[in-house]
Amino acid sequence: MSARVLVAMSGGVDSSVAAALLREAGYEVVGVAMRLAPEPGHSAGRRATCCSHEDFEDARRVAERLDFPFYVVDLREDFAARVIGNFVSEYLAGRTPNPCVMCNREIKFDRLWRRARALGADFVATGHYAQTERDLGGRFHLLRARDGTKDQSYFLFSLTQAELARTLFPLGAITKAEVRVRARQLGLANADKPESQEICFVPDGDYAGLVERATSRDRIRPGRIVDRAGTALGAHRGVHHFTVGQRRGLGFASSEPMYVREIHGETGTVVVGRREELYCAGLLARDVSLVDASRTVGRLEVEVKTRYRQNSVPAVLALGAERRAEVRFLTRGPAATPGQACVFYRGEEVLGGGFIERALEA
Amino acid sequence: MRIYLDHNSGSTLRPEAIAALNALLLEGEGNPAAVHRAGQRARRALEQARSEVAALVAASPSEIIFTSGGTESNNFAIAGALGALSTRRKVITSAIEHSSILAPLVNLENRGFEVVRIAPDPEGRISPEAIAGAIDETTALVTLGLANGEVGTIQDLGEIARRAASAGALFHLDAAQAAGRIPLEVDALGCALMTLSAHKLGAPAGSGALFIRDDCQVAPMLLGGPQENARRAGTPNLLGAVAFGAAAQAAVRALPLEAARLGALTQSLFSLLAAQIPGLVCNGPPKDRIPNTLNLTFPGVLGESMLIALDLEGIQVSMGSACAAGAVEPSHVLLAMGRSAREARSSLRLSLGWNTTAQEVARAAETIIRVWRRVSESEPAAAREALS
Repeated sequence: MSARVLVAMSGGVDSSVAAALLREAGYEVVGVAMRLAPEPGHSAGRRATCCSHEDFEDARRVAERLDFPFYVVDLREDFAARVIGNFVSEYLAGRTPNPCVMCNREIKFDRLWRRARALGADFVATGHYAQTERDLGGRFHLLRARDGTKDQSYFLFSLTQAELARTLFPLGAITKAEVRVRARQLGLANADKPESQEICFVPDGDYAGLVERATSRDRIRPGRIVDRAGTALGAHRGVHHFTVGQRRGLGFASSEPMYVREIHGETGTVVVGRREELYCAGLLARDVSLVDASRTVGRLEVEVKTRYRQNSVPAVLALGAERRAEVRFLTRGPAATPGQACVFYRGEEVLGGGFIERALEA
Repeated sequence: MRIYLDHNSGSTLRPEAIAALNALLLEGEGNPAAVHRAGQRARRALEQARSEVAALVAASPSEIIFTSGGTESNNFAIAGALGALSTRRKVITSAIEHSSILAPLVNLENRGFEVVRIAPDPEGRISPEAIAGAIDETTALVTLGLANGEVGTIQDLGEIARRAASAGALFHLDAAQAAGRIPLEVDALGCALMTLSAHKLGAPAGSGALFIRDDCQVAPMLLGGPQENARRAGTPNLLGAVAFGAAAQAAVRALPLEAARLGALTQSLFSLLAAQIPGLVCNGPPKDRIPNTLNLTFPGVLGESMLIALDLEGIQVSMGSACAAGAVEPSHVLLAMGRSAREARSSLRLSLGWNTTAQEVARAAETIIRVWRRVSESEPAAAREALS
């Protein structure tokens, strides 16, 4: 009997082709669409979210066309507790969370895996662009996708050996263009569907509004906007309106463009500076994990990526106690945004990563 | 071989229904209202079907109006009763009715009507005294499911019919899940209106009937031509009606033995499961239930996982009702019976039917036990709640 694999399907072209490739490779494919956002999207004609009925129907049509079973599974409670809850508390603390990283770690490769086992599946597969490899010693490696422009390994840094062993990324070795060609060959109706860009549970992009609806008033932290010298430039209605590097919506006039440099969640103070003042020498990371936890701790020369849409830069990584690490850029690096993931690479391989706690000045 | 244990959603087509459909398709349908001979033939087929459906509940054929199914019949009963008794503003029902009763009543409530919903006891029984006690001179309609489709409880009607009659209110029974499963006689039940559904009996979905007692005035809901004795406009669904008639006839013929056979199979299924699944709970009363229905709360697992895992193993069951996106929602019936949301989410409905065999029941029990063990080990529902 062939191995059963649970494929997380969004209704998009990537996960659809992932399912098709697994089916061709002889796996027994079971497709699932996850109901995650608190309310199913009722947005007529709008296709930017991952949980709307139309998206489920797209996934269902693919499953019918390729003749494998498909189900909608309700993981809203887990998603609210483990992803949205974290998103809200991070913003309230003055940090900028990355819910996709959290969703992968908490939902797709943990919660969904338990569901997969309950359904008698041996693997979970997704349409992520990333590669896994098993070496001769039996260790698993996480690698960037062959299609560098689509590489999503950044979102997957927290995967452990056990998780990689039961995870399949069928799109790791092909390009997005090839995926679209395959989708057309297979006659999939979503072959030319645009990619989702927004965070799935905030389809209107109003993060601050979501935070305010999900929290009590006394947790909102308003405060002052100051420059690096401490001069007051204005006031704001809550730190959750800001992210490091933000230029628009600061609410005061200035002769030159000013950017958010620091956000102090406890005091509510937002510090702004000129563009060149955003650059930093390195960062401190927390909640750090390595793909291969048996790797010797110490100083490592790595390339580090501090935002998904940024190139990695050379740095020295020093792992510390309590899952903390210090990252020193070889040259002054781009803004480090607390709450975002920082991911350590060596060449094509993801060594691990963590979440940015703060930037290092020098 | 896949095993189908979801007959309360829609039963397997009976061979008698298929044969009747085939014969009619070969003959050519025709419009029963037409004067020509094709029309006459169609009319004959329709009237024969009407007699067969009438016999299902010991009604006279003139009291049977064909509809598009249980939902239309329920909507029709409500709209028809309120249309006929237009000065009365009160409707009495229960909290465990089908959505095609509950939704129109919410609509009426929003328009200023008074809706009384009697809560069930923990086994799904509605107190006939509570219903009868709520009836007064302002009551237009009492509407009640005779047998609940999710837990199988058969309601004791007590004095409801008599009390409704003396107050001048109409009494409607939704018998979609009872017809063909227990003997029904409209006179003995004392209802003025009764909903019947074809696909619960082994005919295709999209066909049903509303029994309207001969002495009872109701306003039509669909307006147009004079079909169905000017009570339901539109060319009737002849294929649906004929298949309904054939399935009803087959169900009536089989009923005495079939009820005992299904009761024994259902009991055996529960015993096999309960012996291996500690803490398994059967929802609904120990007796006074339709013989084919089991609603079970499985300890420590999510019903959704059980449902999907069982489907992958070839056992088809159901849980609550599916939402528009195809996900399952916890049953409002179990919640009304006082079960917690978690218990409702851990519950499945298994409903047997005319073609369920003892071998299937044995194999289903074995699979369900195996799947329950796997699901409860892999995805314990309690650990999941501890996280949130």
